[in-house]
Amino acid sequence: MAMRSQVYEWANLASGTGTSNIRRTAGSSPVAMTSGREYDIFIGGFGNNITKPAETTATQFVVIEDISASPHNGSAVQVRINTTDYFQNPDVTKQDGIPGLASPYPVGSPSIIGGGDTVLSSFNLYPDVYVLPGQTWGVLYSCQTDVAVGASGSTVVQAFVKYTLYDGPDALIANKLLELGVTVNPNNVDWYKRTLIEQASAPANGGEA
Amino acid sequence: MAMRSQIYEWDASRSGHGGQPISGTNTLNTARPYSVFIGGVGNNITKPAETTATQFVVIEDIGCSPTDLDTATVDGLAANGVRAYIQVRINTTDYFLDPDNIGNDGIPGTASPYPRTIAFQPSFNLYPDVYVLPGQTWDALYTHYEGATATTASTHQAFVKYTLYDGPDALIANKLLEMGISVNPGNVDWYKRTLISGASATV
Repeated sequence: MAMRSQVYEWANLASGTGTSNIRRTAGSSPVAMTSGREYDIFIGGFGNNITKPAETTATQFVVIEDISASPHNGSAVQVRINTTDYFQNPDVTKQDGIPGLASPYPVGSPSIIGGGDTVLSSFNLYPDVYVLPGQTWGVLYSCQTDVAVGASGSTVVQAFVKYTLYDGPDALIANKLLELGVTVNPNNVDWYKRTLIEQASAPANGGEA
Repeated sequence: MAMRSQIYEWDASRSGHGGQPISGTNTLNTARPYSVFIGGVGNNITKPAETTATQFVVIEDIGCSPTDLDTATVDGLAANGVRAYIQVRINTTDYFLDPDNIGNDGIPGTASPYPRTIAFQPSFNLYPDVYVLPGQTWDALYTHYEGATATTASTHQAFVKYTLYDGPDALIANKLLEMGISVNPGNVDWYKRTLISGASATV
């Protein structure tokens, strides 16, 4: 399976006494988040995490196609490739990234806890974000107001990433498309394969004629 | 009928081949994947989903019950939904992976909700589609992390939309796959037209 659509969903939910779990667990409760701080949704130590940083091998190519976060609590998500943040202010200074109000997860959730409104997407991640072979990538969640937990009720915040993983020969083709300046998507990878097949079959056809 | 659009709807509160409601309850444990076809809970079918040598399946959409975590502060998550996920498995391989290349629970129902409502709209589109080649066995696995283990209401649901290519169209689907062309009804028809044009040109 050389091209696969993938997703990663994060929430500030953990079970037991710690603030995070590897993978999801049943019986989870929200954990508190501090405003003005970045949390890596893969290995940040809060909510559901994975075992190691997200990275591409020499034969993998990742295209991030969508990111989103809860619209409440001033949530935002930033993409980081190696040590570089993708979203910047116009003066090239650091920013939090895409606000959950612009790219809500889930689509249709209210802008404040218990609100009656329905937030729809104002943002489309286009062009996509490429993670080249050998690079490390992360998605950083931040909030502008503290995410509280306590007896009076606890707040859940979430983040979501949709990406396509190109593996093996398709990752090589993705690199080639990048060199050619062609957008890396499943259609263009298929187009490049067809071109290769046509080129390979052309001499054979010529021989027969 | 060589190309057929198909769907499968699973509901944990139903049972039997026809999916008729039951009077008792069905037990559904948390943090455990259940096959929506043969998992023993809800409406099931008689045997695992598999393609014959002359069949080709393209899975185009999957979804499951969404969870609402934003309309109220929560003390117990169970009141807000079931935190459900759905994974596709081909033979023994899980399709959806975490970024550390370990299989995960699959697509969140919150990202691909079934049913869809104004409050629950999709964040996810299954593209590229998932191909099930001739002779493969496939499954959709439902996992949830909250909610009652015994269900009589339609709180646990899953949905799969796929196209079944049979006979000559399955052969064409294989050919398209070899050529690096997406397998969909439009491209299968295009390939047929190409064959017909080639044959008529020869005559």
